[in-house]
Amino acid sequence: MELYVTPGDELPLYRQIVRQITDAIAGTRLKPGDRLPSHRDLAAQLVIAPLTVKKAYDELEQGKLIETQRGRGTFVRQELPRMRARETRDRLRGTAQRLLSQAALSGVPFADVLDLLEELREGMQS
Amino acid sequence: MNVLEFDGICRAYTTGVNVLDGVSFGVERGQVVGLLGKNGAGKTTLIRIAMGMLEPQQGHVRVLGLDPRRDAVEVKRRVGYVSEEQILPPFLTVGRIVALHRRLYPTWDDEMAGGLMERFELPAGTRVKNLSKGQARRVALLCAVAHRPELLLLDEPASGLDPAARREFLEMSIQLLNETGTSILFSSHYMTDVERLADRIVMIHDSGVLLDNGLDELHEGFSLAMVPRTNGMSHERILGLPHCIGVRERPGAYHAILRLAPFEAETEVQDGLGTAEAHCQAIALEDMFVELVGGRS
Repeated sequence: MELYVTPGDELPLYRQIVRQITDAIAGTRLKPGDRLPSHRDLAAQLVIAPLTVKKAYDELEQGKLIETQRGRGTFVRQELPRMRARETRDRLRGTAQRLLSQAALSGVPFADVLDLLEELREGMQS
Repeated sequence: MNVLEFDGICRAYTTGVNVLDGVSFGVERGQVVGLLGKNGAGKTTLIRIAMGMLEPQQGHVRVLGLDPRRDAVEVKRRVGYVSEEQILPPFLTVGRIVALHRRLYPTWDDEMAGGLMERFELPAGTRVKNLSKGQARRVALLCAVAHRPELLLLDEPASGLDPAARREFLEMSIQLLNETGTSILFSSHYMTDVERLADRIVMIHDSGVLLDNGLDELHEGFSLAMVPRTNGMSHERILGLPHCIGVRERPGAYHAILRLAPFEAETEVQDGLGTAEAHCQAIALEDMFVELVGGRS
């Protein structure tokens, strides 16, 4: 799997790595049991600081997407968490945050935001 | 113990005008710190103080727990140093310079030196005076790292190099980080290089440390707020916001940097200034630099 990171992007480098590996697992370009390069090798390959890759791996490990087996390397986990739900949630977060901040700035109470969502959902169903 | 420790460093050139006035920060083992600041902010002065080439008028510096002036030889053996205007003896050949360095450093790694000679395509028989600027810098870099230093101090190591040569330099630094666990303090005006190599940023401005944060914190915990220049809005009012660290007047709007993620910043600006017109967003390192040190004071 090829990764490509862009310094100067709005997303910090470690998040770019997290996102790309997450996408690769979601899109099955990376399968359970696949081996990832060591964080040092990946750092050399991407020409970024090893600590940055380490941070990305730590985050992926926390999200239970990958695991490090002592002395053997880092692998995509055999049993993945409910990937799609997780990923969707991450993506929705940004949109939801913008919605909430707009509501807050316009003085719309949270209950009204929920009503609005409910209304929209009913609209979608009918 | 930190591999490098600046404690209350003061240094003036003209009496009464401190270039550095009470600068304190440390570098942990294995950490890579990017030292940012405008030209003349004192980055070079600070690095020279760490090398023992200058003495602070107040404050203390510790390098690997040692005093760089009293323990000069040991510090130089365990530290690598490259500066922008480093001068290599012009009539010596590359091979001779490398051989001289080899004798000075007990920990010199022939394999690494040979590998870099090859990777940098350095002509061993050529005299320094006949090298291009890029080649000369590569020789200086090789000599600074082939003894596998515990700490690398780099003062604008890539200035004037083309993008390919800068990338080589980054690759070499990462090799050193990977294999030796070297700690690095480097100054640079190339923000993409800084983002690639650094995990922490120290920004020097107005003789002091303006920012000292993880690179990712700068990305995710800081924002730019653009506040329209309406009646009653002022520089001082915005600077009075609890998390505001800098304001710049731009045509049409004030640009403020807040130590908050964009969503939280929006709330603070809204509540603190009573305007719903302000827009807050994440900010790239280069823009953060310009906003904080460009056109303040």
